[in-house]
Amino acid sequence: MFEQLISMVFTTSFGYSIIRITSPILFAALAAVVAEKAGVSNIGLEGIMGISALFGVLFAYWTNNWLVGVLGALVVGAFLGLIMGFFALKLKTDIILAGIAINLMGGGGTIFLLYLFTGLKGNTASLTTPAMLTPRINIPLVQDIPVLGPILSGHSILTYVAFLLVLLVWVLLYKTATGLRIRAVGENPNAADSVGVSVLKIQYIALAISGALSGLGGAYMSMYYSQSWNTGIIAGRGFIALAAQAMGQGEPVGAMLSSLLFGFASALGNKMEGMPGFSSYLVAAIPYAVTIIGLVLYAAATIKRIKKTRK
Amino acid sequence: MKHKRKFMFEMIRGLAAIVIAIAVAFVLILLSSDSPGTALECLLIRPVFSGGSLNVKSIWAILGRMTPIIFTGLGVCVMFSANQFNLAGEGTTMLGGFIGGLIAIYIPMSAGLHPAVCILAGAVVGGLAMLIPAIIKVKLNASEMVCSLMLNYVIMYIILHFLNNTFADRSKGSTQTYPFLETAKVTKLIPGTELTWGFLAAIVATAVIAVFMFRTRWGYAIRMIGINESFSKYSGMKVGAIIIASQVIGGLLSGMGGAIEALGRYNTFLWKELPGYGWTGMTVAILAKNNPIMVPFAALFIAYLNRGCELMSIYAGVPSEMIDIIQAVIFLFFAAEQFMAKTRQKIVVKDAKEEMREKQLAAEGGNV
Repeated sequence: MFEQLISMVFTTSFGYSIIRITSPILFAALAAVVAEKAGVSNIGLEGIMGISALFGVLFAYWTNNWLVGVLGALVVGAFLGLIMGFFALKLKTDIILAGIAINLMGGGGTIFLLYLFTGLKGNTASLTTPAMLTPRINIPLVQDIPVLGPILSGHSILTYVAFLLVLLVWVLLYKTATGLRIRAVGENPNAADSVGVSVLKIQYIALAISGALSGLGGAYMSMYYSQSWNTGIIAGRGFIALAAQAMGQGEPVGAMLSSLLFGFASALGNKMEGMPGFSSYLVAAIPYAVTIIGLVLYAAATIKRIKKTRK
Repeated sequence: MKHKRKFMFEMIRGLAAIVIAIAVAFVLILLSSDSPGTALECLLIRPVFSGGSLNVKSIWAILGRMTPIIFTGLGVCVMFSANQFNLAGEGTTMLGGFIGGLIAIYIPMSAGLHPAVCILAGAVVGGLAMLIPAIIKVKLNASEMVCSLMLNYVIMYIILHFLNNTFADRSKGSTQTYPFLETAKVTKLIPGTELTWGFLAAIVATAVIAVFMFRTRWGYAIRMIGINESFSKYSGMKVGAIIIASQVIGGLLSGMGGAIEALGRYNTFLWKELPGYGWTGMTVAILAKNNPIMVPFAALFIAYLNRGCELMSIYAGVPSEMIDIIQAVIFLFFAAEQFMAKTRQKIVVKDAKEEMREKQLAAEGGNV
């Protein structure tokens, strides 16, 4: 059984599925990174993903064009980020509670919205047409490389956007004036305020970017991964992304590496599911358990490092 | 005088939040229903009155549905009071129901003792599960929030594993356990309704938690940590132990609520997903402003709305999930400190002016 598993892991299709599974978590993890850098914890990622996943499908359906759907999801995500900002920054709702409220809306609320707009209940499978799904991209040259080609090529266009965004978010945070302000506000809002940075404006911007990024994650889920929107489509990916942000020390590259770790755990689970002797339910718990273990290991390492520097 | 005015302001502010939420509901109903009049009547009136008389059956149903969310609401109150954003109420409710259910099926006991043992076991297991995020928080300073969210899913899948592979009754079409023993059931308070003895247990729990939070040293410590953790630490409180205790109590309460709900409402254990009471409990705690005494009232309000949405989906074709949108809106405005801040400012200014005038009068009187 174990040998069988090993032989499954060392296949190109396994590598391909890691990247496929990692993509939506990566979008949301980058969203968490940007918000956290500005000193606001966006735990509404889960809800924002669910709502924009729905609107992505709806926009794509109304125009029969996937690009409009993706952009729609992005705009809806950014809008939700701003709504969170309005309540958290203007009306002083605790940001955690504002996030929980958005998640409530992403739960049952989306079912209601779907009914409101289409009369459907629970899923949009009957709406899906091929023109609504984000296209797969075969990368010339890369696709011909043995082993790496079949792993890296042939993904949804959004997957490549996700990995490109790791670079872009890093550039935004460390090479632009806005990024400098975002980090300054997150590290010490009073100091930033004293040199004339508008703390509120920067936090609004960060929440909007964060919302837009998780909106893209939502679009990936409904317009590629499961090919339609259904209830429970996000299944905790927004929460896993929060963990990825924490484990990745709040940095874009770190968040990418921890997202890949969860992608690996999920892909392994999927492979094991079909094999006799493994319970599909216990296997489904693996990514969530790995997240807890990862958090523990990371926190323990941090404490050790602090102790060492003190000595 | 001053306190009275502030209290009135808080009441009006809460009402305003509810009115906004109902207004949002009204707009959504207008958009989605062919007969908005019926829908609105179902939402607001029919849970209590139908056809010109009291809708007794529905009233008992509302009271019955308050039971689990009072428990989860109390749990959230205790944890949020200590500033612990532990969101594992969902998972521990399901776990309490599952463990209570297993004892109800496999360990025969006498009628009076059986449900008590099941409920206690559910509570203990719920509390133990909360040790995971609590200890990780205290010892390693890792976010209890992320950890508890993940824990919900881990608990759910482990339960589903055992439910499907070990305890399933294969003779049934859907996945469920064998039936609970008759001795283990939480019996009805009023036969033929949804109202069980669990409701009284929830009221007792409310009183116990209220006394605990406001009249004991530990309760004081929990509230103090929520207000100022550093101060609590420097004044010599065992902050770590109290943080762990607050989360374990939260788990005990939701585990207890889960067991009572499972044994009171169903004949077998059949939850195949997280039951949702944990999240509703958060709305309840926010409405109650983390005050245990207010929890049953907040739970009554949510249960009423819930029933209204249900009737609306039956008679007016509006999906009952609208409740989540209403809840989210209430949630946002209720928790908003600066909502109607200008009015509060006016009240404060008015109070201050009055006070100054009184002092001035007193001073002049003294001079004469």
